[in-house]
Amino acid sequence: MGFHGALAVERHPGKNLSMRNVHSALLPSFKRPPSHVAIRRAINYEQDFAALIYETLREFDLPVTGKTVLLKPNLVGLDPTGVMNTHPAIVAATRESFLRLGATQVLIGDGPALDRDTEAIVESVRLREFTGPLARTFIDLNIDDVQRVPFETHASRLKELYLPRTAMGVDFLVSMPKLKTHHWAGVTLSLKNMFGIVPGSCYGWPKNVLHWAGIDRAILDINAAARPDFAIVDGIIGMEGNGPIQGTPKACGLLIMGDDPVAVDATCCRVMGLLPEKVKYLAQAGTLLGHINPEKIEQRGENIASVRTPFAVVEGFRYLVE
Amino acid sequence: MEADFVQSVCWPFLQSAQNADGGWGFHPGFVSRVEPTCWALHALLQASPPAQVEEAILGGFRFLRMAQLSDGAWPSSPKEKAGCWVTSLACWVLLSEKGSAPAVAAGMKWLCDDWPRDSTPWRRLLRRFSSDRELSTQNDSYRGWGWTPGTSSWVEPTSFALIAFGESPQELLPPTANRRRHLAEAMLYDRMCPGGGWNCGNPRVYGVAGEPLVIPTVWALLAMRNHPDRSEAAMSLEWLERVLDNVQGPGSLALARICLQCYGRKWPSATLSMRDVYQRNEFFGSIPVAAWLCLAWGSTVHWLSSATQERT
Repeated sequence: MGFHGALAVERHPGKNLSMRNVHSALLPSFKRPPSHVAIRRAINYEQDFAALIYETLREFDLPVTGKTVLLKPNLVGLDPTGVMNTHPAIVAATRESFLRLGATQVLIGDGPALDRDTEAIVESVRLREFTGPLARTFIDLNIDDVQRVPFETHASRLKELYLPRTAMGVDFLVSMPKLKTHHWAGVTLSLKNMFGIVPGSCYGWPKNVLHWAGIDRAILDINAAARPDFAIVDGIIGMEGNGPIQGTPKACGLLIMGDDPVAVDATCCRVMGLLPEKVKYLAQAGTLLGHINPEKIEQRGENIASVRTPFAVVEGFRYLVE
Repeated sequence: MEADFVQSVCWPFLQSAQNADGGWGFHPGFVSRVEPTCWALHALLQASPPAQVEEAILGGFRFLRMAQLSDGAWPSSPKEKAGCWVTSLACWVLLSEKGSAPAVAAGMKWLCDDWPRDSTPWRRLLRRFSSDRELSTQNDSYRGWGWTPGTSSWVEPTSFALIAFGESPQELLPPTANRRRHLAEAMLYDRMCPGGGWNCGNPRVYGVAGEPLVIPTVWALLAMRNHPDRSEAAMSLEWLERVLDNVQGPGSLALARICLQCYGRKWPSATLSMRDVYQRNEFFGSIPVAAWLCLAWGSTVHWLSSATQERT
């Protein structure tokens, strides 16, 4: 028995690749093709998600055959009651689906912001019970090798960050947040979830440099540099009020997925009864990173009006409510 | 049993993971970084007999000296041009080598000159008029250290700086060190969660009590081990002992054991077996976790001076 020396090689599938998609990320909205977002009903976490997620992903015809995929769930902290973090059943079913779609390797990775004991968090959410052994599948992005990533967007004061090689090197990156309100950002969805790739080993627990740079603007810079190729939001039980940790569970019974994280987040806002145009970072993301205009979002599955579930927000974000 | 596991798994792992440049990455084969090198060195320095690992230790020291920036700080990764919180870790471990005294003194000076940005007089004045001033109870006149320059004070980097100061001979510390130490200790007590223990540094968020976490609690307790009779220490140790049964992370367990040992507390026999914990995820191949396990179970030498010993 011993630690596995091969781990390093396996953990860096795209080590020799340059930044994945920084150039394709930045396009004015009038030059972007329409985005696609699917809303699927899923009443609770006991159901079999494999078929639902596989069939939905198949509709998107994603270019993942022979590719390495990184799933980036939202693992915030110790969460025995399962309301704070992306549910492991969703992560496991997504992993299985991408493998069925022909991906060579599907990794799971996150860098929790407040607690450096990532393994304790992973165990508390019971991820291993759903996915099987994680030693060669899970990447603690807080302590991955890093590479310098200059920001082309200059939205925040940050000129660059050192970001994990795995997140920058994989072929296909999937943001998998929980549907939550946030006491500083308004909402935390697939764009805000990307804060989790910023390594604690460089910037600490919490990644306070992002707060000082301006949360809204830092979200834009990070998503421009490491834009998720796809987003899957766990909205089966979300969180309203004082999120992302101390809010109230909110049953919503939905999975929201799409090929444009900005459009997915805008759709989530509309489902939550919030105005995406008034979420600062989303409004700005809608000009360069994706679509928030409903006319540019091709909706699949359920329509928004039929699943609308108003979420409470903290006092400072009342202006987001429709 | 735990000592056997550490001897047969953690030690070989740690020793075989050293890079040719003398440093350690966060995982075997990864680029050498300051933080994992510091933890690996602490573990090797406690090896018995140390002569067997002397070459490895000298290599580690060499890597750290080479990694130091011209302003005295250490960066978290090799190509970064600005120093950060790992400066405290580097100073702390380099105190074990006499030849590194100038490097340590430069690092200590950098630490003393690095003030957090959230607690400047100007910021404190602005906060008086802020609409969310009632949401936080913390006293901003107390100042510790941030993770990176120009940010806020947090529990762990403040604790690391206090430990480095506490282990250092007075002649390597700048004149301002005592003042920084007093302010930082006051900050840590102020940031304790209601009921004991610490999280990253938010005892209250939007009026709701913050939940403590094991690792920040351990570092804060170790940083203030020369005040073992304070009520905050007793409350926090009790919190730590209370939650041990539910701790799932090997890093948290190892650090909790180090902390309780330091305060002369007993380690409960009912905690998880490290071998079982290892078989779950192989500790994600983490060098710091392996080093902490070696320090918690693998040594007869006192790594940190005990809280019950009188300190000079």
